[in-house]
Amino acid sequence: MKSLFTGRIIRTQRLSPSSHLVVFERPRGFPEVAPGQFVALRITSTITPLLRRPFSIMDLTGTELHLLVKVVGKGSDILAHSPCGAEMDIAGPLGGTAFPSPGKKDAVFVAGGTGLAPMIFAARTWKRDRSLGRAALVYGAGCEEELLVSLCEEDFAAVHLATIDGSCGFEGDAVALLEKLVEEGKAGGGMLYSCGPAGMVRAMERKAAAGFARHLTSLESVMACGVGACRGCTVPVKTDGGTVLRTICGDGTVFDASEIDWERWEE
Amino acid sequence: MNRRSLETEIGEVTLRNPVLLASGPAGYGLEYEGLVDLERIGGVVTKTISFESREGNPGKRLHETGGGLLNSIGLENVGAEVFFSEKIPALVDAGIKPVVSLAAEDWENYRMLLDATAGTDGVDIIELNLSCPNVERGGMAVGTNPELLAKYVRHAKDTLPGMTVLAKLTPNVGDIAALALAAEEAGADGITAINTVIGMDIDLAAGRPVFKRIRAGLSGPAIMPIALDAVWRISRTVDIPVVGVGGITSVEDAMKFFMAGAAAIQVGTAVFYDPVLPEKIIEALEETGMPGPLGDCNRMKGAG
Ligand SMILES: Cc1cc2nc3c(=O)[nH]c(=O)nc-3n(C[C@H](O)[C@H](O)[C@H](O)COP(=O)(O)OP(=O)(O)OC[C@H]3O[C@@H](n4cnc5c(N)ncnc54)[C@H](O)[C@@H]3O)c2cc1C
Ligand SMILES: Cc1cc2nc3c(=O)[nH]c(=O)nc-3n(C[C@H](O)[C@H](O)[C@H](O)COP(=O)(O)O)c2cc1C
Ligand code: FES
Repeated sequence: MKSLFTGRIIRTQRLSPSSHLVVFERPRGFPEVAPGQFVALRITSTITPLLRRPFSIMDLTGTELHLLVKVVGKGSDILAHSPCGAEMDIAGPLGGTAFPSPGKKDAVFVAGGTGLAPMIFAARTWKRDRSLGRAALVYGAGCEEELLVSLCEEDFAAVHLATIDGSCGFEGDAVALLEKLVEEGKAGGGMLYSCGPAGMVRAMERKAAAGFARHLTSLESVMACGVGACRGCTVPVKTDGGTVLRTICGDGTVFDASEIDWERWEE
Repeated sequence: MNRRSLETEIGEVTLRNPVLLASGPAGYGLEYEGLVDLERIGGVVTKTISFESREGNPGKRLHETGGGLLNSIGLENVGAEVFFSEKIPALVDAGIKPVVSLAAEDWENYRMLLDATAGTDGVDIIELNLSCPNVERGGMAVGTNPELLAKYVRHAKDTLPGMTVLAKLTPNVGDIAALALAAEEAGADGITAINTVIGMDIDLAAGRPVFKRIRAGLSGPAIMPIALDAVWRISRTVDIPVVGVGGITSVEDAMKFFMAGAAAIQVGTAVFYDPVLPEKIIEALEETGMPGPLGDCNRMKGAG
């Protein structure tokens, strides 16, 4: 059950020019969570920034809560540069759905940018409970500096890297790299998990996803309530009777990518 | 310490305290289970419903501004049938007091909506949303015209005998007090003020407005002075209770609304980031009691 907690930052680490690892002491009573769930932080006790900021859970151990924070604006900047010992109000765990486990099947994880966080959490969770077969990560960022390779080295049997500028690994985005791997017979068949910009997930669903049993994705949107009340973060989902709007925060964050009405979704 | 009773009468209804969650941010109430102690709250003003369900606006719906939030939700709601058969019983079962917010769309839909409301167990107070800026028809059009507004209020009072009727007003008018007076004369039991203030923003990088519908509704601390002024003027114009809403983000803000003449208050946007604010306000009121109204303070009258 979601609740409000006070989290204390015990460690931060700059991973790249814009990305930071922020580790909170696991708040007392913070429940177990599933990959794809998130927390919403009240960054300051003032009214700037006003709304809570949502962040995926990258790891939850008995004592620690890990977040991966990319600085894109004021809220993420304050969070990433908070001193050790700083306390923050955490609402969570939020999100009504989580990634279903691959049930010992092989899995390919595709991450764009900070979409890496829930991918890492999924791989770690399923490795811990031995429900994961061979796990490969396909991971793209703008340039080598922004690739957080050290974060994900241990969690996947294979890591395939892509950079837009070609400074490291495959030149292009994660989707193009995935397509290449499928074509070469190096990926496919098992489960496909993804998290990243909507454009990335949409492009995957158009082509590469056909080579997999199922494609599950964790979506993002600007959020206000984070609990499914305000209807601010909706996404059109196809059903028997047509398209219905579901909330990413309450009905998601995880959806079967084939059920999203991609034509109608404008972020 | 002796805790004061905060029971508040509006029309025929006695609320356990004068602190409510505002329509929209509150959703259908139960979404906040775990974050808000909903039974403690004076009432939950549910998301405005229309007779038929509505899908709301396409594209981006939320955008933070300096001290505020622009929203373009567009009255997405489940419609009367699901609302009265599923959402209301769930709230009532959980011991939560619903205040039912109804859309004033076109006359035909409005009449059907009131008929659907009649006879629903557990509903004895409604709030007419005469003021939504995010839809094409109804809403604002009704809420900016005193004759139309009076017609809608009167019809609610006629169709729903014994029902306490609040009229929720928009600040996007020249004289909000005149509209409040029209609602009072038509039989409203109370006035809720204010709905969101119309605003817009531009996505510089994309070179286009942030929202598809361009204009959206501004809420949050940025609009509090506008809301406070509206409550102050309305409470000096009408004799029925005024429910103040707009930008309340602290116990102190709430106290100001009571001083300006509000009989009750609603918290909207602040619940997003401080879900326990309503409970903090209730606690403060229990400890210190309701602040007295300002009275006819000349210093205030002379402003402007
Ligand atoms: C479920 C969920 C999980 C997320 N997980 C992570 C994560 O693990 N790591 C991480 O770094 N970020 C994550 N995000 C995105 C993160 O919430 C935003 O980057 C952050 O809220 C921006 O706040 P800001 O004040 O720094 O930026 P602002 O000043 O508010 O905005 C700066 C820019 O970021 C964009 N932005 C604002 N909010 C969001 C948003 N919710 N999603 C995408 N773009 C946004 C704005 O449109 C603007 O262009 C997640 C978002 C969601 C909804
Ligand atoms: C996301 C959002 C949705 C809203 N939806 C409704 C609505 O359905 N009906 C209504 O009467 N007011 C709606 N409002 C307006 C609020 O009830 C309130 O009048 C306004 O936000 C000002 O209060 P605040 O600053 O405390 O949020 C909405 C506000 C927000 C932010
Ligand atoms: S953020 Fe309010 S419904 Fe998702």
